[in-house]
Amino acid sequence: MLAAAAILFSLAMILLLWRGDPKRRRTTGQRGGADSAGRRRLLVAGMLAPGLILALGGDSAAFLVWLGSCVIAGWLAAQIQGPGAAR
Amino acid sequence: MIHLPREETKLMVAVHGWSGILLGLLLYAVVITGMAAVFAVEIGEWSAGHVETRSAFERPIDQPVRALAASTPQKYHEGVDLFEIGDHNLGVFFHHHDLDASGTPISRGIYYQLDRDGHVASAREGTDEDVFGPRNDDALSSFLVDTHVRLHVPDPWGLLLTGILGLAMLVAAISGLLIHRHLLKDIFTLRRKAHPVLVDRDRHSVAGSWSLPFAFILAFTGSFFSFYGTVGVPIVAMSAFGGDQQALSDAVFGNPGTPNPTPHAIGNLDRIAADAIKRSGDAPTYMAIENFGRADAAVTTYHHPKAGDIEPITLLYNGATARFEREKPSIGTRPSAGGTLVAIMSPLHFGDFAGVFSKAVWFGLGFAMCYVTLTGLRLWLARRVERMRSLDWLERTVTVVGFGLPLALLGAAVGFLVTMPLGSAVFWTPAVFLAVSAAAILAGFIVPTHALLSRALQIAIAVLLIALPLIRLAAGGPGWPTALAVGQPSIMAVDLAMLLGGGWMLWRLIGQRRKQLARPAPTLQPAE
Repeated sequence: MLAAAAILFSLAMILLLWRGDPKRRRTTGQRGGADSAGRRRLLVAGMLAPGLILALGGDSAAFLVWLGSCVIAGWLAAQIQGPGAAR
Repeated sequence: MIHLPREETKLMVAVHGWSGILLGLLLYAVVITGMAAVFAVEIGEWSAGHVETRSAFERPIDQPVRALAASTPQKYHEGVDLFEIGDHNLGVFFHHHDLDASGTPISRGIYYQLDRDGHVASAREGTDEDVFGPRNDDALSSFLVDTHVRLHVPDPWGLLLTGILGLAMLVAAISGLLIHRHLLKDIFTLRRKAHPVLVDRDRHSVAGSWSLPFAFILAFTGSFFSFYGTVGVPIVAMSAFGGDQQALSDAVFGNPGTPNPTPHAIGNLDRIAADAIKRSGDAPTYMAIENFGRADAAVTTYHHPKAGDIEPITLLYNGATARFEREKPSIGTRPSAGGTLVAIMSPLHFGDFAGVFSKAVWFGLGFAMCYVTLTGLRLWLARRVERMRSLDWLERTVTVVGFGLPLALLGAAVGFLVTMPLGSAVFWTPAVFLAVSAAAILAGFIVPTHALLSRALQIAIAVLLIALPLIRLAAGGPGWPTALAVGQPSIMAVDLAMLLGGGWMLWRLIGQRRKQLARPAPTLQPAE
């Protein structure tokens, strides 16, 4: 249950990172809307926080499942073309 | 990220590219079969129509094992291994430890395969290498696992080969990390309509960047397993045990104590199994008895990790009294960091520490590794093929292996499903694999264009994925209501995964075709 909540939270952070990723937006011809460096750092910290909580709680199985799920979610998120993608 | 000087970056790019191009196709074969082998148990249940859900260790094993012991020569009572085979039936190997001509430890004895009622279905006498092998009802999963572990090359060469491939993957991961200057900046960048080299580069680097932590983990643990018995054990035995590998095994994994050969009936194995299930929360995956029928008998049970942990559980019992002794570290007699590290290698590699959920994640990671390997090969080719038309054969080879290998694996599954009811699956599963591989290679020679070859192989994969559940049913496999009624969801889950996978591939291929047809046909322009 905790692992599922951690994955969902990190997935939300990954999608926010994807949405505001400056280089992705630039290469797909989307002007503006890119996140600042500070906001991106905050989102990365938010993405990693559930993993840290699982690791500190000693739940190694949940931590590994969370890490693997984040890897797959990030890769799949990168496949989304998004609205206004031109290139 | 890491910024190397220009010359060192060039060197790393060369190391990354050449290690990939020289070993990439073999590595792909190991990774794709490993990806499927994550679900080897479920594939075994699906393909053979296994509907028993209770472990063999949850049913009475004491009486059958006692009866077998009574008819087995005393010399084979030194060790008894108990494990599950087929549809949760019991396999029992009575043996003694021996050395072969080269001094390598072997086990020699009688391997009994019991049926559901505990009666002997077959008995084979010989060394462990002689008696163990694929069975008619697990030929498909055995074939998958054997391809992943040793590429069907005889030991120790097969293990050494896959170990080297694991190291190559490690080298590729490290050099990839060093040469990628914008790992985090580019982590969502996929240019789809740019120059083909850039498209391939983005696909490769995005998948590679995300899966980097697991590339290290899977490559390292895979190499560990390959080199453990082939290199590690002989070296340690040579340096610390005068070359005696059996002495090493006894010291590291055994249960030291004063020998007591006094005859004594073995304790109740059902009581041990029940207690082990209570303590670990799960049925044993394996049970090993040392000195069966002696006062110093010891019983060790092996279990999956408890919920929330990744370290498997090992329990030790007094064999004569069936009394619980202690939880046993995987190495030595006391818990140690090294013992824990060795113990977690297996769950880290196989991803089986949290049931189907962790297996599904590991399957996805395996898919990402396959994608990274194939796109890496394509990128290497895309950078050169425009300058060197002579590399066309390599481009075709990558396509034949990239799509032909999964096609041949699906063909092997068809061969298994059709021939298992006839009792000849052990022969036909690899035979159909080879036949489909040969057909894919032939297609690589005769199909006129590379694009058509790629498309034809992908269509064949999609069609087979959709057809396999139907073939399984036609071959007499259990339907979904039957499987669900006995609490066996694997059969329906694998069917659904195949139907969805095949449907998704067809949908993608049809979409690509529509896009191609919608594009205006190229027209010739005057030169001036």
